[in-house]
Amino acid sequence: MASARSSRSVFARPGLVIGLGLLALQFIAIVFAPWIAPFPPTEANPLDSLQPPNAVHWLGTDEIGMDIFSRIVFATRVNLLIGFAAVALSLGVGVPVGLLVGYYRGLPSALVMRFFDFIQSFPVFVLGMALVAVLGQEIWSVVIVLCMLFVPMFARIVRAEVLSLRERPFIAAARCSGAGDFAIMFRHILPNAMTPVIVQVSVSIGMAILLTAGLSFIGAGVRLPSPEWGLMVSSGAQQMILGIWWIALFPGLAIVLSVLSFALLSDEAKRYVDTGRGGRAR
Amino acid sequence: MNAPVADPAAAPTGPSGEGAIVVLDKLSVGFGDRTVLNGIDLALRPREIFGIVGETGAGKSVLARAIIGLLPPGGDVTGGAVRYRGRPLDAFSPAEAGSYRGGKVALIGTNAKALLDPVARVGDQIARVVRAHTPMDARAARTRAIDLMREVGIVEPERRARAYPHELSGGMAQRIVIAMALAGNPEVLLADDATLGLDATVQAQVLESLVERSRDRGLSVLLITHDLGIVRHYCDRVAVIRDGRLVEEGPVGDFMAAPATGYSRDLLDAARARPALQAPLAAGDRPPLVDVRDLTMHFAVPGSVLPIKAVDGISFAIAPGETLALVGESGSGKTTAGQCLMRLIDNTDGRIFFDGRDVTDLKDRAFRPLRRHMQMVFQEPYVALNPRWRVADLLAEPLALVEPMTAAERARRVAELLALVHLDPRLADVRPHALTAGEQKRVGIARALATRPRFIVFDEPTTALDIRVRAQIIDLIRGLQSSMNLSALFITHDLNSVRSLAHRVAVMHLGKIVEQGDTEAIFERAEHPYTRKLLAAELPVDAEPAAAAP
Repeated sequence: MASARSSRSVFARPGLVIGLGLLALQFIAIVFAPWIAPFPPTEANPLDSLQPPNAVHWLGTDEIGMDIFSRIVFATRVNLLIGFAAVALSLGVGVPVGLLVGYYRGLPSALVMRFFDFIQSFPVFVLGMALVAVLGQEIWSVVIVLCMLFVPMFARIVRAEVLSLRERPFIAAARCSGAGDFAIMFRHILPNAMTPVIVQVSVSIGMAILLTAGLSFIGAGVRLPSPEWGLMVSSGAQQMILGIWWIALFPGLAIVLSVLSFALLSDEAKRYVDTGRGGRAR
Repeated sequence: MNAPVADPAAAPTGPSGEGAIVVLDKLSVGFGDRTVLNGIDLALRPREIFGIVGETGAGKSVLARAIIGLLPPGGDVTGGAVRYRGRPLDAFSPAEAGSYRGGKVALIGTNAKALLDPVARVGDQIARVVRAHTPMDARAARTRAIDLMREVGIVEPERRARAYPHELSGGMAQRIVIAMALAGNPEVLLADDATLGLDATVQAQVLESLVERSRDRGLSVLLITHDLGIVRHYCDRVAVIRDGRLVEEGPVGDFMAAPATGYSRDLLDAARARPALQAPLAAGDRPPLVDVRDLTMHFAVPGSVLPIKAVDGISFAIAPGETLALVGESGSGKTTAGQCLMRLIDNTDGRIFFDGRDVTDLKDRAFRPLRRHMQMVFQEPYVALNPRWRVADLLAEPLALVEPMTAAERARRVAELLALVHLDPRLADVRPHALTAGEQKRVGIARALATRPRFIVFDEPTTALDIRVRAQIIDLIRGLQSSMNLSALFITHDLNSVRSLAHRVAVMHLGKIVEQGDTEAIFERAEHPYTRKLLAAELPVDAEPAAAAP
């Protein structure tokens, strides 16, 4: 009965349909970029610079003559790679740290939390510029900057869940049944603490894409000529005042749609969790 | 105790009985395709207290909601009608229906604290209800609210009226809800398990004042409950409901003496205490299995010098094969004592000996091997089972304490355990939320039995269960006691089950054991005033109603 209901409701939910549709579009762009894009993404052709959208260059060209449509398609790879990598790494570090910090509440845990406070008290962009200055303008620098932001966030979410779960009777019951600390943490608490994390994952990917674009825009992100949405908006912004709108507008739209897809999916994930189909401990 | 039926016209029974205030005429209620009430005929006469008895899911609460005309979303009257003084409810105009609810018929629900607005003072909340039914200025409404609070037995109503709900005890909050129900001067009160979850002494006080008020004001009361003791002591007539159908209806005296249907007989039998247990042979000669000396558990209170003395120097011993009942009301520290015994919390003082060995200071790792001999059955069955685990995994977890076993051995042992607690082996694959409360309790018990322990702490094994399920659990524990020579600490406030299960009783009050002795002796010749108060608050099914009345 549950499966019948869910298959019916997939199409009854516009948010889910649009979110999944946009996500599918992005994956198609990632996998088939060389076939979709009419031009190589980093091929400059100064003779064709600053062309408005036309039959050859569908979305126009930028100031050194690179095809904007091709660059947007290829940039999906860079932006989503950064987003997924940053969130996956942050999950891998943040979730176990949050679990430990919530479960053992001694001085070490307090120190970890204060360290998180310390990191989070820096504005992201200042932190980003500092790190890029040290590590160089690489994709991985951006991933590390994002991890600095997301690790404390995931750790705090998990910690908050653990703090309430560890007082629950089923944990005491597990202890009576002979479960040790490790088993209690990873087999009893963790599965019950993951629900809000799963909701947060989708939001974070959207945030990561937005922040990557922002970092590139201020010059603390990916370097030219790599195709990256934020960088493209940044270079287009200088031309905007001259009435050359297409360089900044189309990558900007790509950012909007990409972030929108993850925001919609996180809403759906939240609804799925809230209706209690996850069989949550609450 | 039986109220005289003053109105002669009310004497003939039957749904169309003249003089009845509220009549249910073949009332059927359905939710979608599910029929919850099926052709119920009932008549509530003036000035009578009418008990409705049934188990969970019988449709009792829906019945109350149908009478007040507020069915939960999705519910519809599919047949028959509710008539108030001869007029069907659905003929009422919206304005009439508004004054009918609260003004003629008022509903008192379970869990009073959740029914009150947490951010408004209780006096104002009552005044709000008063003004909703009778136009008057704020000052007069306030005075009226305080009068109502005094009427339902709240001392210092002027001061209490300024309290917020969280500052009140459960019993006090329930009285406030009763005062709110009385605010509209109704003719009929519907009390839907109004005292569920309250301590026995508080329950008796609240019911006593509810019944007294109703008799004084000449109200009719529909007392919905699953406690036959309450019916026995406070009701004039009773109806038994099962699966949405009326099973039986009649005067309480006749019903208790000779129920007409097999189902009612089952209910009554289940509600009665089982015959006393045989004390284990020569219990005094053997060294005790569990020996607790001056157990103390103080919780530090932030911002206060004085700690909370949850357990304040208690001593008791349990011999092999013996069951000791630790009896007391909520807040007496009995659950805390049980948790100290299981080393779930570290007691601040006192010693605990198990099988002659001092286990008080053992670290968790050193204590773990002993856990196979000491187990605990937790109070609330659902929250004590990891919601993401299947029953089979829950039952297999403690097996790791015994010895390494293969998957096949483990599966066989799980099947054995399910059989031991009379559960369907197919339930091994479901998760706790798919089980009923009784089944969850059984899983909890099976889990505690998995390692074949010598000692089990049962924390409130019979609370919040339906009459028959409760009796089944008691029978199950009795069977285990005799077949496994189990020692047990039985933590409860349910005196009826103490009679059926315990060899000895320790009465706990405010962290101290005030009286301790053989079960028989405590029930027959209690010495401490608190024990007597506790015993007096019990509403046994068998005792004469006159004996309990003050």
